[in-house]
Amino acid sequence: MVFPDSVKSKPERGTHLPDQPSGRGFSGRVFTLKLFLMVSFLVVAGRLVEIQILHAPEYQSIAKKQYEQRFTLPAVRGNIYDRNGNVLASNTMYVSFAADPKIVADRDDAIAEKFSRIFGRPKLHYLAKFRGAEPSRRFIWLERRVSPEIARKVEAAKFEGVVVINEPKRLYHYDDLAGVLIGFTDIDSRGISGIELQHDSDLLGIAGAVTMQRDGLGRTRPSADYPYIAPVNGHHLVLTINLAYQAIVEEELKRGVALNKADGGLAIMLNPKTGEILALATSPAVNPNESATYGPGAAKNRIITDMFEPGSVFKIVTAGAAYDHDILSPGKRFNTEGGEYKIRLRSGGVRLIRDTHEHDVLTFQEGIELSSNIVMAKAVEQIGAERFYRQARDFGFGIPTGVDLPGEVRGRLKKPHEWSGTSLQAMAYGYEVAVTPLQIATAYAAIANNGVLMKPFVVARVVNERGDVISEQQPQKIRTVVSVKTARLLTQAFEGAVERGTALEVRLNGLRIAGKTGTAKRIVDGRYAPGSYTSSFVGYFPAEDPQIVCLVMMDNPRARGYYGGATSGPVFRAITQRVIHTSAKFSKPPDAEPRDRGIIAVPDVRNVRTVIASKILHGLQLSSQVFGEGDVVIRQSPPPGARVEKGDVVKLVLNNDIGTDRQGRMVVPDLRGMSMRRAMNRLVAEEFEVEFEGSGVVSRQLPRPGERVPPGTRIRVVCEPRGTAPAALY
Amino acid sequence: MSSLTVKSRQNHIDLPTLIAVLVLMVLSLGIVYSASAGWAMQKFGESNRLLNSHALKILVGIVALFAGVTIDYRKYRKLTKPVLLGAIGLLLVTLLLGGELKGATRWIQFAGFGFQPSEFAKFALLFHLCSLIAAKGEAIKDFKRGFLPMIIWIGLVSLLVLLQPNFSTGTMIVVVSLIILFVGRARLHHLFLAVMYMVPLLIAYVISAPYRLARIQSFLGTQWGSGRVNYQLWQGIIGFGNGGLLGLGPGESKQRDLFLPESYGDFVFSIVGEEYGFLGTMFFMTLFFLIMIRGFKIAKHAHEEFGRLLALGITCTVTVYALVNASVSLGILPTTGLPMPFVSYGGSSLVFSSFAVGALLNISAQTDLHPRSTRLPDGVLPVEPLQEQSPKVY
Repeated sequence: MVFPDSVKSKPERGTHLPDQPSGRGFSGRVFTLKLFLMVSFLVVAGRLVEIQILHAPEYQSIAKKQYEQRFTLPAVRGNIYDRNGNVLASNTMYVSFAADPKIVADRDDAIAEKFSRIFGRPKLHYLAKFRGAEPSRRFIWLERRVSPEIARKVEAAKFEGVVVINEPKRLYHYDDLAGVLIGFTDIDSRGISGIELQHDSDLLGIAGAVTMQRDGLGRTRPSADYPYIAPVNGHHLVLTINLAYQAIVEEELKRGVALNKADGGLAIMLNPKTGEILALATSPAVNPNESATYGPGAAKNRIITDMFEPGSVFKIVTAGAAYDHDILSPGKRFNTEGGEYKIRLRSGGVRLIRDTHEHDVLTFQEGIELSSNIVMAKAVEQIGAERFYRQARDFGFGIPTGVDLPGEVRGRLKKPHEWSGTSLQAMAYGYEVAVTPLQIATAYAAIANNGVLMKPFVVARVVNERGDVISEQQPQKIRTVVSVKTARLLTQAFEGAVERGTALEVRLNGLRIAGKTGTAKRIVDGRYAPGSYTSSFVGYFPAEDPQIVCLVMMDNPRARGYYGGATSGPVFRAITQRVIHTSAKFSKPPDAEPRDRGIIAVPDVRNVRTVIASKILHGLQLSSQVFGEGDVVIRQSPPPGARVEKGDVVKLVLNNDIGTDRQGRMVVPDLRGMSMRRAMNRLVAEEFEVEFEGSGVVSRQLPRPGERVPPGTRIRVVCEPRGTAPAALY
Repeated sequence: MSSLTVKSRQNHIDLPTLIAVLVLMVLSLGIVYSASAGWAMQKFGESNRLLNSHALKILVGIVALFAGVTIDYRKYRKLTKPVLLGAIGLLLVTLLLGGELKGATRWIQFAGFGFQPSEFAKFALLFHLCSLIAAKGEAIKDFKRGFLPMIIWIGLVSLLVLLQPNFSTGTMIVVVSLIILFVGRARLHHLFLAVMYMVPLLIAYVISAPYRLARIQSFLGTQWGSGRVNYQLWQGIIGFGNGGLLGLGPGESKQRDLFLPESYGDFVFSIVGEEYGFLGTMFFMTLFFLIMIRGFKIAKHAHEEFGRLLALGITCTVTVYALVNASVSLGILPTTGLPMPFVSYGGSSLVFSSFAVGALLNISAQTDLHPRSTRLPDGVLPVEPLQEQSPKVY
């Protein structure tokens, strides 16, 4: 710093200025001026010291806040796969637009105009957003979740102050398929129902963050002062659901609901040996892609959230208790009183129990097959309240099944001390008790599984991004409900119900089906709804080694009567028929063959509707090529399980192209490699005569596959002991 | 520096002043580039657009400076009146035909360049006032003969500038003129009277435009109340604070384009503060302080009244502008748009200030501050007797 040498007018080198007129006043004023300026410099310097040194840290932190911005790096929500690796839910990027009103300033009109033209909303809609915002707001949404193609139109316009944000949006590949099971997500991709809710924490992942600095050109770059926190993407879920079965169940349920003019319906399919839920459907279905269009109750999974009075399907408890405690034998005879049985109550009143069939005498097993309420009421008198109650508990009634889905209710099973005079008899045929559809299905699954109740579940595995298994649901035994012997007796009775009892509509040639019908008055808001019934059929097959348990229920069917056998039975039958033809071999769990490596196993899309089949294939990034006409795939090439590369073509032969040709001849199916049972089922389904030789796996057949033969031709099938482990039915 | 001699007097010019000005000019290149690059990139797609323009202006400024050095300042005495009349003419032309910038007509086109006649008029008036005072001598103490004509010139020029409207330059013209009258030995009660008349006029002028009133209110509010500082000023102050002691380094300003729009103009000092810190701002202030000290010394050594007054006038103009600019940036004075001499982007101020400093250097060369030792021994008076009787000028 240079200081004035002085104001004292020190003699300068070589200066002898002649004094100017009145020089004193002059120099005095100059001095004043100089002093004033010097003080001004001091004031400025002082202020600089204050701002740049004393208060610098405060200003620095203010500045930092201004040009640094923390961005959340959203984690990608995990995908949901079916058991074969078909993608049910994944994510897609959508584009959202926001604006900073301060930067936009008076260009809001032009922006509103442009947005109105692109998105078709009134211009006022956008102007209101701009003008309605508080003056301090620097961020308003203009449009959210726009498809990238449309978004490009806006970007072409390039508005200052309009921010483009990429947002992931949940995408449900099959729309309403398994919609109620998978559930909904909200606009921020948080689960709000179904599996999306139940496994939200698995799917969610952990968002990362990055702090960006803005430079002078308005560009942003990551700040070096803060760590970059990478997002941890959500885990994937592999469900126990079989997409093909799910499609079949939904289609048949929908058709059944329409045919029966029912208010709605539901169906659930389980693997009795493991408790895996293979399919779960409600009708009407919901499409999670359009979650915003549904009311609050739509996402409810009625299979676990709704209680109903089960009616005759509950006779499983009575029969189970009777057999298991050796109280009754199947041949024990009961007087059915001509269809009307009066119970005298201690209070002096009378309770009348009616049967729909008028018989004089029935054996206990016939009582089950024909669903006699009187037989059950009489039987339960011998069983006794305590044993009956315990048996019902053991089957899992009145207890949540523990399924990994949100919102399950426990049902209502009164304890003996809560019972009235006729409660025991009423419960014997399924009244005065409230159960969920899933509880019914698991109870029958226990019988199908030799008396062992398995915990139902729907999420098989939680897998991280790289495919490592985070957690895996092992089949979980809850308890042994009845002995193997009892289970066998019950199956025998249930088979009888299908063969000669109340469920004749379910009969299917070549397949032993065991099952039970049920018809009960509906409870709406805790009261019986007059004239309104819940009609159900629950069954399993093949009876000799049950692979699949399936429950079908109709709410208030009105077209073909209300009996379970007549309404839900045919739906069960249609489902069963199509499922046994779809009997895919799941050679390996889907994650054992990572989908990203390009090599994948061809899924089984036979007996699946063409639309669903191509969706399944496209979900696996396979192309499909359709031959013939029709709406159901009857044959595919390469066969299921074959390993192909992504993008390969799978040829699909449709139903109208097979079976019969123009001359009415049938094409002989390829049975080689099938189990005897499967070959049998297949041939019977296509109404061929069958002749078997040997046992094991089909090795040869005559006529040969693909030959055209007249309908009803006898096919000779030669079997050999199988070299490999038996393939499961599904 | 024998090359930098003035033929008419053969003595050396005042080197510290020249170096201070040149250093300011060179540094301004970096500052203006840093402050304008982002904006220029956005607007023109090339970051050095404003830098190039500024560099050209600095070149013209240096030429103007050396022109000022070369011309014997005493020749101005007889020219000031016609030049000032020309400047007033230009101001009138500006008012009638000038180009608008942000609601004010301050510019006219001249040979393809836009320039601000007010910057020219500012110095023309200064020169003329010096010439008048030097000519009138003691007569300035006479209100009618001496003081009033000068006040009329001042009033006329400042009025034309204020009408543009250009509050800051108009006010500064009045302030610098009053300083000259003050050191020119005008009677204090005359000056006081003049100020008393001007204050109500200024207040009326301030109130006439809402934005000016708002600025003053904002200033008063923050200075003596709890009101919020205006946005640009606040961002400028954040810039200073963000720079701290050492600054963020050249080109590292964060504030400039995001929060301090057009900081290459009147808020350039804030960019200095942010990029070069307290050391940088103090260095700039020191250079202006140096110019002030040397200017006063040159004035002291000037051989006659005109040179003395002119040296003081030029020095004060440069210094007061720098001080006011810095004070505004730092929130000491109400926000007003004044450039920082030699540093801010803007050609008119730069070129005319450079010429004026050139004239100051010419004055310095005619003193014996830096005598050519080969020609004159110490203590020898090199000047011819001065002619104090100049023609009558108004």
